[in-house]
Amino acid sequence: MSPIVAIIIVLAVLLAALVIAFLLVGRGESRFKFDIGGSAPTAAGGSDMSTEGGFKSRLLGLDVFAGSIIVVLLARLWSMQLISSNDYSNQAESNRTRKISVGAPRGRILDRNGKELVNNRPSLTVVAKPDVAEDAVELKVLANLIGMPEMAVKRKVSSSTESAQSMRTVAVDVSRRVVAYIGEHPYVFSDVSVEERTQRNYPQGNLASHVLGYVGTVNSDQLENEDEAEDKITYESGDIVGQAGIEMQYESVLQGVKGEQTVYVDADGNVLSYSSSVEAQSGSDIVLTIDSAIQKAAEDSLNGHIQRLRDSGKGECYGGAAIAMDVTNGEIIAMASAPTYSPSVFVGGVSYDDWQNLSSEGSWNPLINRAVSGQYPSASTIKPLSTFAALNYGIANVDSAYDCAGYWTGFGEGFGQYCWDHNGHGHIDLENGITFSCDVVFYEIGKGFYYSSRQDGLQDTYRKWGLGSSEGIDLPSEASGRVPDAKWKWNYFTSSDDQARSWQGGDLTNLAIGQGDLLVTPLQMLCVYSGLANNGEVWRPHLLKGVKSSLGGGAVVEYKNSVLRSVKEKDEYVDIVHKGLSGVIYRESAEQASHFTNLSVQVAGKTGSAETSHDDPTGWFIAYAPADNPKYVVASVVENGGFGSEGAMLVVRDILGAIYNEPDDSTATASGSQ
Amino acid sequence: MAKHSTSAQAKVGEGGLGSFSAFYSHIAGQRAPRASSRNLSRGPIWWPQLLPAILLVIYGTVVIYSASLTIPEASFPRHLMGVAMGAVGGFLIWRYDYRALANMSKVLLVVDCVLMLLPSVPGLSHNALGMTGWIKIPIIGMTFQPSEIAKLVTIYLMASLGAEYNGKIESLADYAKLCGMLLVPFVLIMTQPDLGTGLIILVTGAAIIICSGAKRLWVIITISFIVVGAALIVTTSMTEGMPHLLKQYQLNRLIVFMDPSVDPTGDGYNLQQAKIAVGSGGLIGKGFGNATQAASGFLPEAHTDFVFALLAEEFGFLGSVVLLGLFGVLIFTTVALAQRIEAPFGKLVLVGVATMWSFQLLQNVGMCIGIMPITGIPLPFVSFGSSSMLAQMTAVGMVQSVWNHRPKAG
Repeated sequence: MSPIVAIIIVLAVLLAALVIAFLLVGRGESRFKFDIGGSAPTAAGGSDMSTEGGFKSRLLGLDVFAGSIIVVLLARLWSMQLISSNDYSNQAESNRTRKISVGAPRGRILDRNGKELVNNRPSLTVVAKPDVAEDAVELKVLANLIGMPEMAVKRKVSSSTESAQSMRTVAVDVSRRVVAYIGEHPYVFSDVSVEERTQRNYPQGNLASHVLGYVGTVNSDQLENEDEAEDKITYESGDIVGQAGIEMQYESVLQGVKGEQTVYVDADGNVLSYSSSVEAQSGSDIVLTIDSAIQKAAEDSLNGHIQRLRDSGKGECYGGAAIAMDVTNGEIIAMASAPTYSPSVFVGGVSYDDWQNLSSEGSWNPLINRAVSGQYPSASTIKPLSTFAALNYGIANVDSAYDCAGYWTGFGEGFGQYCWDHNGHGHIDLENGITFSCDVVFYEIGKGFYYSSRQDGLQDTYRKWGLGSSEGIDLPSEASGRVPDAKWKWNYFTSSDDQARSWQGGDLTNLAIGQGDLLVTPLQMLCVYSGLANNGEVWRPHLLKGVKSSLGGGAVVEYKNSVLRSVKEKDEYVDIVHKGLSGVIYRESAEQASHFTNLSVQVAGKTGSAETSHDDPTGWFIAYAPADNPKYVVASVVENGGFGSEGAMLVVRDILGAIYNEPDDSTATASGSQ
Repeated sequence: MAKHSTSAQAKVGEGGLGSFSAFYSHIAGQRAPRASSRNLSRGPIWWPQLLPAILLVIYGTVVIYSASLTIPEASFPRHLMGVAMGAVGGFLIWRYDYRALANMSKVLLVVDCVLMLLPSVPGLSHNALGMTGWIKIPIIGMTFQPSEIAKLVTIYLMASLGAEYNGKIESLADYAKLCGMLLVPFVLIMTQPDLGTGLIILVTGAAIIICSGAKRLWVIITISFIVVGAALIVTTSMTEGMPHLLKQYQLNRLIVFMDPSVDPTGDGYNLQQAKIAVGSGGLIGKGFGNATQAASGFLPEAHTDFVFALLAEEFGFLGSVVLLGLFGVLIFTTVALAQRIEAPFGKLVLVGVATMWSFQLLQNVGMCIGIMPITGIPLPFVSFGSSSMLAQMTAVGMVQSVWNHRPKAG
């Protein structure tokens, strides 16, 4: 209803009421005469209205006027003060009270032995009231003092998601000089103060930075999504949350429960007095399965070998990954990724330059955790699975053997393919096919599948062992890899001609040796080998060992280990694979063996050299030990670092050396076996 | 005066509740006077009317004192000074024989116009709240609102004009002359502009004209014209390209009154806060000095225009009832005196004063509880401000003057 209409209606009602009141009063007080003071002759009594009588009734009308005013006001007051009083009281209370949240310290992150990987340190933080944004002088002096652009300071203090009484964080880790200057100039900095807050601290430096992840201020997406989240954490702008790794994965555990201070305020929002408060509850500690000593050995070895390979002429060798896992329960003992970064650059907000540097191609994306997010062709490390596929689908049997002349023409002269060893392996069975990584053996298997009724046998086997889907490790951003098949190829190469898009024999021979379009993550291959080592039983890989509650005297809630998948292969087939993998270590080459004969435990493993668009192949090595009763499985990838035996194998050996405290003392150089 | 006051107090003190009802038996007007009331009816002071006025001033003083604790502008000494000025004004007018004014219409008209125009005199004018209704008295440096006194002069003026007809206005020309005379002060006050005081003058003057014996038909037609005219003014002020007679803030207040969720200038906020203050008072209120709405600054103008909200928050429904009750007694005794006074001039003066109080009560309290639009009309005897206090206590003196100069029964 438009206000004009409403006003006219109200005025009309008022007019009608006046007329009615006028008529009623006149009738009541002048003995049913219509006229109260006019000159018309009166009906009753026949005499003139006396002046006194006219006044009398009009004055009574005035009484009625005043009386109705008081009655109307009383009625309205009755309804407001007695009937709706509670509503108004609540409104009055919410008018004058404000809740200010008090930040809770994040939980720590510890390694499996209780060593602190991440803790908190006190940090001098400059905080300011939102009013600073309106005070040009104060804003300018503050910006100059802490060395920030004025606009950046203004943006930080004007954030609107916090309650008006909350102090906004302007700068963390300010120097004593800044603190002193603010303290000495209270009149300039009337709305600025220095608080001692906590910031993330990394006592072990960059150790396990990819596992731990980093923290940052909550972003707008996270603020918007919080309603959907199951945990009841309410974030305000400026809150520190995990943005990667464990910090992100276990955000709800690490993030404490904010305290709340209720204050009384006046109409301008100034705090008048303090009311009740709820103590902040610090977050719980996370205990990881990581062993910091082995983690350090893994990182040192990975980075060291990458550096060595790059120095020796492999100019694109920057990236790599290494993981060690307990095959009996899925605990990740170490997880390294190269190149690495310092999580401390994110404390208090990462600078633009740092961010550009960390997220650029040119610096080989140090923020990516290649152990779970890196995707590479598996290369020869896939050969045990190809073997199972061939045996299970009748492409080969335990006695099958093939002839390798170094060059294979199974699909005709025009489609010839080399074995990695151009000299050929001669007559060779499946076990030795694995040991010496003979490609021809697996070309034959690929060809066998191409001509069989089960063209997807290889892919089905790979998928059964977990490839092509993520393992569900407790880290964000795990990649799932890719197992190529005819349908995928057709849909993927849409711009190619039909011939090139169609599934061909060469695709299967590539797939059987782990080259071409197959993509796996180091974690996936680690899980495959943990299954090979553990009779097909793969425990869910995980980094969380337990949660140490901040309440109840630090009670620890242990992670419940579970079996991720169980793949049953016939014992005789498994035997061939085990012997083959053992042969890789001890029989393939003397140089290779020399790195493992100096270990007190037997090892089984496999090299791999993935061909990529780069000049040098990406080397793989995956091994488990002890070979007869496996406990640990270790995998490593070195991007563009040459054959598996040149880098990845040595990283794996160093990690095993750290686990068994038996460092590698062999100086034999790799011969370039795949 | 002293003698009478002691005798009155003695009577009240003696009889308790019983004599209290006897004390107010005059309200019934024509009832046969009893001994006690005859006693009270003697003497120069009409206690049944003066007593509620004094209680209202005391009540207001208590409320303003609590406001002065948290609102710097509400200076308690200044309030007391206003009360003192009002007492002097009331005393002087009580002693003055108002009947002399009955034949001084022209003088009253001139005085009225001068008072209305004072704020426009250069050197005197003092702007407050965007209005030009204030003057700054030289030398003393005090600010003053002459329109408050002009309201009273207008009552005398209209009463003196209306009294000539002795209760019957025979000709339309006479009626038109009365209405035209009322328009003079009204138009002058609207030029300031002060819509609130203008409305009081209009309603008060209209009541005097009606009681002077205007024919009902004329009155109804006049009111209809006013209603249609007001509707036209509002409508044109809201329409682009039409003359805007109402100021934007006045229009906004009307809009807010119709729909408080619209808040063009903060008036909706003010109304909302006033309602919260009143409603949260509950039955017995938050207690003296505990009005959080007013003390924390949520309630605007808590010591002036919205003083009732402060009172209702501190003293609750009971406090509101006491206030309305005191006003009721004050107004009814004034009307009752008008019934008893023979002379039309005296009657009409009392009608004017009673109407003024009734309308200001309706407007001020009604505004705080959302049944009237927001206008800057003070609550008589309670709102902070010397001009209002002087005028309202003088108005009490006007009633007492009628009593004091009644024809003494032989």
